[in-house]
Amino acid sequence: MTSLRSKGSFLKFYSWLPLIILFISVFNEFDFNYLNLDYFSFNFPFILIFFFTLKDFKNFDYILVFIAGLFNDTVVGLPLGVSSLSYILICIATSYFRNITIRPNPIKDWFYFLFVVSLINSINYSILTLFFSFNLVLMSYLVNTFFTFLFYIIFVSIFKFYLKTLND
Amino acid sequence: MASSRDDFIIAIRSAFLKKSTQQKFSLLTLVFISVFIIVLSSLELKVIKFIKVGINEFVYRSSFVVSIPENLLISTFSEISEYTTFFNKYKKNKDELDQFKSKNISNEIILNENKELKELINNYVSSSDKLLAKIIVDHNSPFLKSIIINKGSKDDIKIGTNIYDQSYLVGRVIEVNYKSSRVLLLSDLNSNVPVTIAPQNIQAIITGIGDNNGKIKYIKDGLSEKLENDSIVYTSGTGAIFKSGVPIGKLKILKNEISTELKVQFYSDFSQLKYVFAEILTNTPIQNLDNENTNNQKKNPIDAKVQILEDEIEIIEDTNVKFKEENENLKVKINDLNDQVFDLNNEITRQKEKINQFDLDKEELEFLRLNLIYSHKCQTKKLFSTGFKVGTPEYKKCILNKGKKVND
Repeated sequence: MTSLRSKGSFLKFYSWLPLIILFISVFNEFDFNYLNLDYFSFNFPFILIFFFTLKDFKNFDYILVFIAGLFNDTVVGLPLGVSSLSYILICIATSYFRNITIRPNPIKDWFYFLFVVSLINSINYSILTLFFSFNLVLMSYLVNTFFTFLFYIIFVSIFKFYLKTLND
Repeated sequence: MASSRDDFIIAIRSAFLKKSTQQKFSLLTLVFISVFIIVLSSLELKVIKFIKVGINEFVYRSSFVVSIPENLLISTFSEISEYTTFFNKYKKNKDELDQFKSKNISNEIILNENKELKELINNYVSSSDKLLAKIIVDHNSPFLKSIIINKGSKDDIKIGTNIYDQSYLVGRVIEVNYKSSRVLLLSDLNSNVPVTIAPQNIQAIITGIGDNNGKIKYIKDGLSEKLENDSIVYTSGTGAIFKSGVPIGKLKILKNEISTELKVQFYSDFSQLKYVFAEILTNTPIQNLDNENTNNQKKNPIDAKVQILEDEIEIIEDTNVKFKEENENLKVKINDLNDQVFDLNNEITRQKEKINQFDLDKEELEFLRLNLIYSHKCQTKKLFSTGFKVGTPEYKKCILNKGKKVND
């Protein structure tokens, strides 16, 4: 009985894992900046949100994604709502892509992800420079987009493994 | 054609409006809320500020807790790399320490002088307390360079408070919460610092470029050629944003075929900051300070200045008296020296006379020697006389010519 209960609570925790990782990543930023590589950065929350909303994962609540965006803005020091808007736009893009896709293809997803990340980073850059007069390095955004695109395929294989273990 | 457009509209409508069984809000609602929050956060309303401060406090603390494992990993990594270079660093530090100790004394004198001059200019004494603050969040974002410290309005931190790493400037506070603050680092693109470049004493403005260097954003035309490598860059205090005379870094001139780039290498490594100092400034007018310290109450700053000027005059008068005394002493010394010169001149004359006498004696001796040999040739005889009478100059001449008789 105890074992069943503990197994159930672990399963519950396991099913909420993507959201927990999302919140840890916005609080902590997996940026690898201590490697001292010029411009190197990638946006892990983008990959996570894109994948799990594309798969319509049941525990990936939009409102929690929205709140994660608010936390990210606070930690990074951006005006409140900018990251939330970015995350919600990813959700909209994946929702639209899910609706128009009959036969899913990982390569198509990957390149659609590149389009979405580029679009959202452009919106982000525009809002910050036009409305908030931030001085930003465009190169940082381009490199960030590129590495986020590259890392997507690696993380997707990990996330797929996760989904497989969850379904089993 | 019409059917594909319908499909697109249906897909878009579905994406924006359709809620899944698990979702509590449609995405369109959340987009509107996001935009609403962005607009509110740009309006700087007081209510929004309070809400933001509340969120900041919660998020910064949570972020600190969540970052513990990663920070542990990073600190272990840096500690291992530090141990490998430990001995070399120790030797280097020891040498530097010796140099600094010797410089410290002269610096203290300059600081005191500087303080006195500032008091004269400003009519108030600026005293500062440096508050130690721990960095609770340092994510070194690729886009914004800022850190969060664990001191806020509770500890008298204000917007614009200067933040130091030891005595080097690292940034200033741009957002204050109750028990935490955000510091904009000098390496951020939005950071502009008015500086003085020494020893050329050139004014400039530096800005961050994202890494551990800054660049000179503005300098008067023609002055950049006067700059030298490794010149010291420190705050000029222009605009009263930063305190003056705080060291920032060293100037590095990077020349290539096309252009010359002026970079500032910061003294402080912003990626290695763990603790910083926040400077809490309090300005006390000179008038009050005098009242506290002395019984002679000064009514206004002009009195204080007059008092200082009177003291200066007194010092100058004392110095003048000393100069006069010294002058008298020098005069006496000059007289003594003149006497000595006179004595020496007499001595020289005497010596010269002695030398002349010696020369004469020598000539006489030579004459007597030759006289013994050649006197018979030059003396006059009774018959058929061809010589000269003894004692005459002709006789002497003949002797000196060794008996040869020369006709005039």
